[in-house]
Amino acid sequence: MTAHLRLGSAAIALAFGFSASVVAQEVGMSSTTTSTPMSSSLVPVTQAMLDGAAKNANNWVHSNGNYDNSRYYPGRQINARNVTGLAPAFVFQTEVLESMETAPIVVNGVMFLTTSFNHVYAINAATGEEYWHYKHKLGPIVTVCCGNNNRGVAVSEGKLFMGTIDAKLVALDAKTGRLLWSVQIADPNLGYSETMAPVYVDGKVLIGTNGGEYGIRGFVKAFDANDGKLLWTFYTIPEKGHEGVWDPKDATGRDMHRDIAKEKADFAKDSSFYQRLGGGVWMTPAIDQKTRTVFFVVGNPSPDLYGAIRPGDNLYTDSIVAIDLDKGTYKWHFQYIAHDVWDLDAVSAPILTTAKDKNGAVVDVVIHGGKTGHIYVHERNTGKLIRFSEAMIPQENMWVLPTKDGARMLPGANGGVEWSPMAIDPTLHMAYAANLHQPMTYHVEEAPYPGGKLWLGGAFKVIPSEEQWGRLVAVNLDTGKVAWGAKTPQPLIGGVLATAGGIVFNGEANGWFKAFDSKTGKELWKYNCGAGVNAPAVSYMVGGKQYVAVAAGGNNQINAKRGNSVFVFTLVGGGQNVHEEKTVK
Amino acid sequence: MLSALALPAYAQLDAAQMAAAREKAQVCFTCHGPNGNSTVGEYPILAQQSWRYIFIELQDFKAGRRADPQMSHMAAQLSTDDMMALGFFFAAQKQLPIQFKVDPAKVEAGRKTADTVLCPMCHLGGFVGQNEIPRVAGQWPQYIKKQLEDFKAKRRTNDAGNMTSVAAGLSDQDIENLAQYIGNLF
Repeated sequence: MTAHLRLGSAAIALAFGFSASVVAQEVGMSSTTTSTPMSSSLVPVTQAMLDGAAKNANNWVHSNGNYDNSRYYPGRQINARNVTGLAPAFVFQTEVLESMETAPIVVNGVMFLTTSFNHVYAINAATGEEYWHYKHKLGPIVTVCCGNNNRGVAVSEGKLFMGTIDAKLVALDAKTGRLLWSVQIADPNLGYSETMAPVYVDGKVLIGTNGGEYGIRGFVKAFDANDGKLLWTFYTIPEKGHEGVWDPKDATGRDMHRDIAKEKADFAKDSSFYQRLGGGVWMTPAIDQKTRTVFFVVGNPSPDLYGAIRPGDNLYTDSIVAIDLDKGTYKWHFQYIAHDVWDLDAVSAPILTTAKDKNGAVVDVVIHGGKTGHIYVHERNTGKLIRFSEAMIPQENMWVLPTKDGARMLPGANGGVEWSPMAIDPTLHMAYAANLHQPMTYHVEEAPYPGGKLWLGGAFKVIPSEEQWGRLVAVNLDTGKVAWGAKTPQPLIGGVLATAGGIVFNGEANGWFKAFDSKTGKELWKYNCGAGVNAPAVSYMVGGKQYVAVAAGGNNQINAKRGNSVFVFTLVGGGQNVHEEKTVK
Repeated sequence: MLSALALPAYAQLDAAQMAAAREKAQVCFTCHGPNGNSTVGEYPILAQQSWRYIFIELQDFKAGRRADPQMSHMAAQLSTDDMMALGFFFAAQKQLPIQFKVDPAKVEAGRKTADTVLCPMCHLGGFVGQNEIPRVAGQWPQYIKKQLEDFKAKRRTNDAGNMTSVAAGLSDQDIENLAQYIGNLF
């Protein structure tokens, strides 16, 4: 996975292992509180609604907008010409003052949002009035590396589905918030937990797992939406063949300084470590219904920095993987970094779109924004790499090996692009990525498997004397060139929304939520939410009026100021017209 | 943070469960003292220890990740539920102060060393511990010294490299000073 470091000196904490958190919970069962009877406008979300989401401006029924994960909203009532008139319609306060990474789901004017510690709220998406509030009762053991986060629910046929930090999948009645069923996905005592929004398709709920910092064996599982019965499991670490092809170079052709001969000798002695090799999948997969394919990216090997204990390419860590939707069987993979010892893994959700191939023909592609700072463009049917973008943030000293005393390399272990989902504008063939710049040193320490404890095998440390910043970057997918970039005073974590109105929305740790011109990167509007905006925005319509919603709860990982609210904006006249800040290319 | 989440973990045991846990803990009292308040420097105090630390160490003894002539054998008999119950039980007991000969100069030197190597980053200010990171405030110096020596010599390696890394840079005198400083924190 991974997500990790707090800003400033607190990052050093990881050198010693801040890790498993046990969250004592209120005694009793999970509970639901009803405030107001549910709106009669709420309808069960059908498969047809989920399939047609990319063209429906009324609802937002997938955490990333649609099965393509495009985060491209098709409505244009709010657009580059009038966005200066955007102002809050309401602010919904939750009772949880902790990191918010939720992407709200909206169905016919009803919004479903989540908070840290697995609370779910159903509210009126035009007024903020609360319908119900569900609190998940956590078990005694919760093991999370990077905060007690949740990124949202999946919705279908009158149900909501949520993964929990004690590694369960729960189904709720969308109308009442009552618990329908709950299944244990994996053992939290071994480091498994859930923060991602699952995805629903054709009666199945698909979900991966966190735990790359704890020596888990990663997977994607499919559960029956009716009763939670397990349908199939795809392990991201194959029992045989995880050594791969002993690739000495990364996806961009740079040497990674591996001692292949030594690795091969070590592998011959012991290759039994696949059960604890990591490879979490903790962002929502993309689904191609035409070819019945699931696309996801796989996180880092365990332990993060100490590679000597896990010789080989460590497949399918740090890879994009395609599997069969119905059977969960392997189709193809492409590995970005073989035998990663920097935690520069693959995290941000893949997006299905089209782009020009090397011959100039527009083809189906799947793209991924890496912690390396590159956007990778692949042929969708084969995984073959068509191109990778220019680096969106500085790269230095790649791939120097971690040392006991620490070796400096850029980017730092958070990226590049962290978990933050990207957005695209398919009309411009452009992708928008939220990047971090956090100079770090990489330290290695010998460490045998510690049995469910944080297992980094060393430390990542930020360099206090070096400036950290963020950069929202637009990349032309046909060329890989950076089209524009907007530098921000703090590293960016949260995710991006693009709209047919020619706008890109992005939040910052300092509370600013901003709109940019999709083509030029010119800043058009901003509003300060008073706490870190470190969640991806969504958009929808109620009663013929377009809204934009975003959570402002701050962030544990970069220690952005905490909040407890979802801000919802609409055109109400007035607003700020901010043009004075320069757009940095 | 939610107030509901601030409840101690052992609140999950009701009175009957606590009584059953006390029954299980009786055998531990032989070495670790009544309610886990050891009176012998060789055996650590368990009273008021983080439940998660006790649970994890018992698991490690059973799995062979940590070895001890007595504990390895004791833990081998325990189920996961037993380990959890013992963790909850000892976490709920009140730690009592210990008596040992304090050397103020060593205590002061130990305090400086603790700040230099950033012990409080994980063990927290006052060494009260958190989650899997043990409470060591007021622990027997003899026991602390042995653990630090074992980490340094890599005789104890169930720490995911964190303590072995820290202890590698400590001299024998540093270890002696830290043991005095931490033992005196109560």
